Parts: sequence; C-alpha cells; structure tokens
Amino acid sequence: MKTRSPSRGAVPRRVRRRSVLLLGASVALAGGMPSAHAVPSFARQTGQDCAACHVGAYGPQLTPYGMKFKIGGYTDTDGKDGKVPLSGMLVAAFTRTEMDQAEPPADHTHRNNNLTLDEASVFLAGRLSDKLGAFVQATYDGVEQRSSLDHADVRLAHTLELAGREAVLGLSVNNNPGVQDPFNTLPTWGFPYIGSAVGFTGGNAATMFNGGLEHRVLGASAYAFIDNSLYAELGTYRALSPSVQSRTGQGRGEDMGRLGGGTAYWRLAWLQDWKRQNFSAGLFGFNTDIQPDRLSGGPTNRYRDLGVDASYQFLGTREHVGTVYTSFIRERQTRNDLFAVGEADNRKGSLNEFRINASYYYKQTWGLTAGRFATRGNRDATLYGDGYANDSPDTSGTVLQADWTPWGKEDSWGAPWANLRLGLQYTMFDKFNGARRNYDGSGRDAKDNNTLFMFAWTSF
Amino acid sequence: MFRRIPSSTLRLFMAVSLMPLACGASVTHAADLRHGEEVFAQECAECHSVREGKNKKGPSLSAVAGRKAASVADFVYSDAMKQSGIVWAPAALDAYVANPRKAVPGGKMKYDGLADAHDREDLIAYLGSLK
Repeated sequence: MKTRSPSRGAVPRRVRRRSVLLLGASVALAGGMPSAHAVPSFARQTGQDCAACHVGAYGPQLTPYGMKFKIGGYTDTDGKDGKVPLSGMLVAAFTRTEMDQAEPPADHTHRNNNLTLDEASVFLAGRLSDKLGAFVQATYDGVEQRSSLDHADVRLAHTLELAGREAVLGLSVNNNPGVQDPFNTLPTWGFPYIGSAVGFTGGNAATMFNGGLEHRVLGASAYAFIDNSLYAELGTYRALSPSVQSRTGQGRGEDMGRLGGGTAYWRLAWLQDWKRQNFSAGLFGFNTDIQPDRLSGGPTNRYRDLGVDASYQFLGTREHVGTVYTSFIRERQTRNDLFAVGEADNRKGSLNEFRINASYYYKQTWGLTAGRFATRGNRDATLYGDGYANDSPDTSGTVLQADWTPWGKEDSWGAPWANLRLGLQYTMFDKFNGARRNYDGSGRDAKDNNTLFMFAWTSF
Repeated sequence: MFRRIPSSTLRLFMAVSLMPLACGASVTHAADLRHGEEVFAQECAECHSVREGKNKKGPSLSAVAGRKAASVADFVYSDAMKQSGIVWAPAALDAYVANPRKAVPGGKMKYDGLADAHDREDLIAYLGSLK
C-alpha cells in the first residue's frame, strides 16, 4: 500500500522534514490504496472459502477464524501437498471529485474524472514450512507508474500448551508498524479497506503510526496469543537505508531519516469469541525519535502514540452479518528538529485521530458500510501553514460504501481460484486541513474534495 | 438470476413439511432440525460442508451419521482419528462435538466444543437428516 496525496507531486527539499510529519501518512487515514489481505492462495492452502476468514467474503476484514490463521503464521493447511503460495491482485477504479483539482494529482492523470489502474500486485502468501509463513506483496502502481515492495509480514509461529491452555507464540518481521495486527481497528487494516489513489481520502496531517513509516522501516516483534483470547505483542523498528529504500521502490528522496534506538511498538488486546458473535478491546502504542538528517547528535522529532480500540462482530448463521469498529489515537509530538530549522513554531504539540465504522453484509455478498473519521490537533502557524486554514490540521468527514462480492463462498464460481469485489464509495468532508471553507486560501472548500470512487477489485 | 437450491435444503424442507403428516408427530422435531441447521451454520460451517465430496478444513459431513471415522476419501485425517475406531452414531457424535480433544486426543480439529446439550441434540438430528 502506498500513501499518496492528491496534491503531493515533487516535495521541495526545504519542506521535506514537514512532509515526513504531515504528508508521509496523509491519505493513509483512509488507506490511500487497497489494503488487500484476501488472497486466494490462503484459501487454496486451507481448503477454506474466503468467507471463512473474511467478513463479506473479501479481505481484509477478518473473522476470528481469519485472525487465528494470521496469528498462526499463515501456516494452517488442509494437509495436502503441492500448494503454491502465490497470488495476484488487480484494482481498477474511476474517481470523481466534487470540484476539479488545481492540478492533476499525478502525471498522466486529469484534474478530475480519472480512470486508473491503481494496483497490479503479486503476493508470496502462505505456508513456507510447518511454522513459517509469509504475506509479502510487490505492487505495480499504475498511477505513479512504478513498482515497489508493498506490505511484508513474515512470521514464525509455534503452538503449545501453557498451564493447560493453548498458546501461540510467534515472531513477525515486517515493514510497517501495525501490518502484523490481526484486528481491523488499527490504521493499516482499518476501514475503508480501499481508497482512491487520485481523489481525497483524508487531510494532510496524520499520526506517525498511521502510515508515516510504512515500507521504509524493518522491524521485528514477538507476540503471544493465549487461550484464543489474550493477545500481547512487543517489537522494535529500524529505518531502511536510503539505498535500500531506493532498491525496494520507495524512492530515495522521500527518506524520513533515522529512527532512534528506543523505537517501540506494543499491543495488548482481548478477543472474546462466542462463534455467533465476538468482540475485542485493546490498547496499542508506538514510540519513536526520528532524526531527519541521519546525523548523530542532531535534533530529533519525537512521537509518542497511544491508542485504544474495540470491535464487535455479529456473525450468526452468516446470512446477516454486522460489525462495528472504533479506534482512538493520541500522538504527543516533541518537534525539536522541526523547531530548530524553522518549520514549526511550537516544540510540543499533539494530534488525535478518531474513527468509527459499522457494516452490514447480507449473505456474505451485499455490503453497506458507514464510517466517521476525525483528526484534530494543536494549532501551529508554520507547521500548518501553506494549504491549511486557521493554523490547524483538523479534518473530519464521513465515508459511505456499498459493495458486491459475488464469489468467495462455498459454491461460488472460481473458488478457490478467484474472488471479486465491485464497490461504490463516497467520502464527504465536513472540514479539511483546518476549515470548512477556503482551507487553502484559494477558495477551495472542504466539500470540494468530496470524492466518488468506483472500484473493481479482483484477486486470484 | 435464480440460485440453485442446494439438495440438502430441499431434503430439510421435505423433512420439515412431511414429517408431521407421515408420523403424526408434533412440529417440535421439525423446529429442532431448523435449529440444528442454524447451529451447524454458526459452529461448524466455516470448516465443514454438507455437500457430498466437498472437503474444507474439515471433511464433508454429508451422510456422516453411521459413517466410520476417517473414511472420507481425499481428506487428510490425523493419525489419532484414523486409529480411533469410532463409528459416528449419535452418542459418538455427541461426545465428540461436546469435547473433541477429550473424545479424540491428538485429533486436529481446532474446536473447543459445544457445551449446550440441546444444541448438540439438534445439531446431531440435523446431521442425521443429511443422507
């Protein structure tokens, strides 16, 4: 998944530090590109239908069965040999914004009404040995017209008995804090699970945990899942060198710098699964110090993210399925570097992100989802200067989605070789980059960024 | 587009419709079959199909009643299940569904068990209707 701002283009070096803070995670609020996690190679490996692991028979919204498959290291199998852990995915879309954008959002696109091939991906996804599995995605981005390493999560998992209770102990090596999480409440796998690459899916400010480091870091975390209920995880990350970022297709020029040695990700969650329904509740945190110039002893920008999340799923007989997800992240920033170079007026500041969404699926085929999102933060005239109003990063809005997933069930055509989702999504903004009206000083209102997104999403 | 009605659903419909006429029984048993089908959908259908020859993570449960354990072709059973010697009579199904790990130690079914005896009874009645 790549984050892409419609207004991005080439970022001048002078503002690169700020871009790391503000733009690096910009559209990840809504998952600027598909967060695919429904690959038919998993279905072929396990003998299961897509609907066993995914609400609505399409990823990435996981059922408890799907969560346990992920926690188990993608290694569960029907016991038959000869399964090839490879899959593919294509996403094509049409995007229309309420008002034409000032400039085309990318080369080869128009100011409005864009028909795009958003992604063509290949996956190494599945069991590599009894205890080792992988979900590694390489993507050709049809908008940027470049290829890169996308989400990567390689896992080692072992199941044992502890005090008479089943426990899974595992290790994840991945390139994006949160990509390893089995719940769909954190930003990486949260709703909307797909979003326009050339429209608007969120404001420019976002927390560091919300996609700010994705694919430019490498980390490892150890986790435990005890008695199918208690989930605990602790890990750390390091920044990839600019040359490795370049080789993996991320672009050397957008390097966010070096991460401090104290970078840590942690997670605690409780899952209560009654089969007919389930809920989860949890806490998570991400701490890092980023040194933009990679010079030892230089000033850093410090981010302390703390979040709380919860979810509820009514699965019943799977004919009528309803879900609710919510999360809140509070980020405390200490911007010593930004302050030192004159790109922030205040050393300290905070950002809060809130999301809630509810979905209904009929016969695992017809889906309706509604979500609210809100980002709020302290004012800073320099940090939130150009492109913002009132010195404020505040953005809020609503996302509505209707989708149709004709395959992915037991008797579906193409199972377990192919799946398809067609959808219509509309994102409405109450406020964008600090204001309802004229947020950019050029007369553009928040509602002018309202985005209609029609997509065809297939995997095989 | 019309969706083909699964043969299992037709059988269930026939059983529910004709049973009171055929044997003068109350509709209680029919309601139990319906409830058993719902229990199956909630508890079992992720991993088991009732379609003949359709194996998922677990083997097909078509015509499971009275069948010898580990006898579905093209399904990879655990050694424990192969050696269990179980024949799936109602009592054996009840014991297995109540606590799979106790009934077949070393088996590979990842299911904690269905505690409610009434649910098990209805589920087994439903499975028994699948011929």
